[in-house]
Amino acid sequence: MKKILLFLDGNQPNDRSLIGACERMTLGQDAQITAVGYPEDCPIGDSVYDDVLVIKDKLIAPYDTLALTQLLQEVHLQHHFDIILLPATPLGRILAPRLAIALHTGLVADVTDIEVADGVIHMIRPAYSGKLMARIIATGNGPVMMTVRPYGFEPTNIRLKTTVIKPIQGTNIKDSGIILLQSRAKTVTEDIRDSAILISGGGGVLTSFHRLQELAGVLHAQVSASRRVVDSGVVHRKIQVGQSGKTVSPKLYIALGISGSVQHIEGLKNVETIIAVNTNKNAPICSLAALVVEGDAVDFIDKLVRKIKQNSLNFKEETQ
Amino acid sequence: MKIICLIKFIPDMDDFKYDYERNVLIRENMNQILNPEDAVAVAFAINVKKYYPQTVIDVVTMGPKNVTSKLEELLRLDVDHATLISDGAFIGSDTYATSLVLASYLTLNKADLILTGTHSLDGDTSHVPAQIAQWLSLPHLSNIISLNMNTMDSGRPELSADHDQEIMTFALKLPAVLSLQKEAPYKLPYVRYEDLNKVVSERLQVLTLKDLNLKKEAVGFEGSKTKVIKTFVKTQLRHDKIEVTTDEAGIQTVYDFLKDKGFLS
Repeated sequence: MKKILLFLDGNQPNDRSLIGACERMTLGQDAQITAVGYPEDCPIGDSVYDDVLVIKDKLIAPYDTLALTQLLQEVHLQHHFDIILLPATPLGRILAPRLAIALHTGLVADVTDIEVADGVIHMIRPAYSGKLMARIIATGNGPVMMTVRPYGFEPTNIRLKTTVIKPIQGTNIKDSGIILLQSRAKTVTEDIRDSAILISGGGGVLTSFHRLQELAGVLHAQVSASRRVVDSGVVHRKIQVGQSGKTVSPKLYIALGISGSVQHIEGLKNVETIIAVNTNKNAPICSLAALVVEGDAVDFIDKLVRKIKQNSLNFKEETQ
Repeated sequence: MKIICLIKFIPDMDDFKYDYERNVLIRENMNQILNPEDAVAVAFAINVKKYYPQTVIDVVTMGPKNVTSKLEELLRLDVDHATLISDGAFIGSDTYATSLVLASYLTLNKADLILTGTHSLDGDTSHVPAQIAQWLSLPHLSNIISLNMNTMDSGRPELSADHDQEIMTFALKLPAVLSLQKEAPYKLPYVRYEDLNKVVSERLQVLTLKDLNLKKEAVGFEGSKTKVIKTFVKTQLRHDKIEVTTDEAGIQTVYDFLKDKGFLS
């Protein structure tokens, strides 16, 4: 049975990508999964993990990757894991490389897909600005290590274990001399260009534009608008997409009641996926869309938001 | 104070050439640009030197010989020395082997401050700065958006880093590895007119495997702990457009679509 170590970094709510990735690597076979993390990120009862190691050591701050690496190295030397997974969060991204050096093993970053061939784990990740996909294997003797993108993998099986929870501390942790002087919440100046998902409204939702926020909320998205909505004074120009607005490259663009003038389409650079919701399924935007929903945009928001909330509720019940 | 900036010249992605047989990027004869966040790190070092003129700035890069002209451009600014680490033996090095090469240089050449960018636009793993810090047992902070210039010679410099939802301000002890991010307000100056043709080659050195006391098997394909076994071009699936309405089946289709694509957790 494979022994797997997961580092929990709870920045992303409802992210199950680490467990999803484990499932892909073990091909449905059971594995011994140990999770390690700070108290706020750790479950307090039975969970998907066999063991949970809760970091309770005042000398090891989450920004001190030198100390944290030392602790995780000690954990590995006790358990000898076959696989170590970290999330590609800001902390995971700088902690994983340190740990890989400490354990003299290779590391693959931002894995988006995993396959197993003849018992060898193939890690697949985008490279060169996404121009290529690379299939990578570990060649050293150490554990297979990777970081995975939050929400990148979704488990399909339900896993519930009698979880053994233990506090851990480091031994002889070296003081790295970093002192936290101040921490302040970022003032969020949202820029639609930074958003992975945009919920965008046009003339078709002019009078009910505020409803877009409901869909944006459940999809962790930002709201943007066509010029028509901006010119009507409903929203500020800073969220306008198009030639006279901003050029955006989200992964998903949901166009609600937007016909899709040439100027609007000009602003949709490298959008991976477009969903168009329009009463006219022959509107120009629909020719760019992977998925066209013919109908009223507000009706669409109502129904889809209800569906998403219902399903996330079902999931919570299943796991509780 | 001695500052070493680890920098990387990256292929201009519009001029992308790849050896599909050996699975390596063809870096020779390729239009190269200084990785933007590394430029921020060098620009910061130049600012420090303006404030504290006794500061010495070295830039170090690994790559093919054709980047020497790029290094000379930096030497015409306020950079004191430039080092190119170049050897055919390094071809195929993953981040483990690459970080070992740079850490070997830094073991032989000590600095108070080792500066890098947080990301590079080509590989974009962000591994190497953290890995170097580990080889050298030094603290490392990344995503740095500002450094307090008044504290730079205090022995406890202060800086701010962008940690997702928070801006955190730290004081640290040197030596340390610091990775800047592009939001930091430091920009490389232009070369002064009178310096445009300044001869700088005597301040540029090229080092090879031997100079760093490294064994051939510790670097390149052999020294790497990961191996790219295949690369493939992401196929732009020319989708057959799905058409639905807002009835129950249609909404279910949209829901499943969002879930399949990973937009729903």
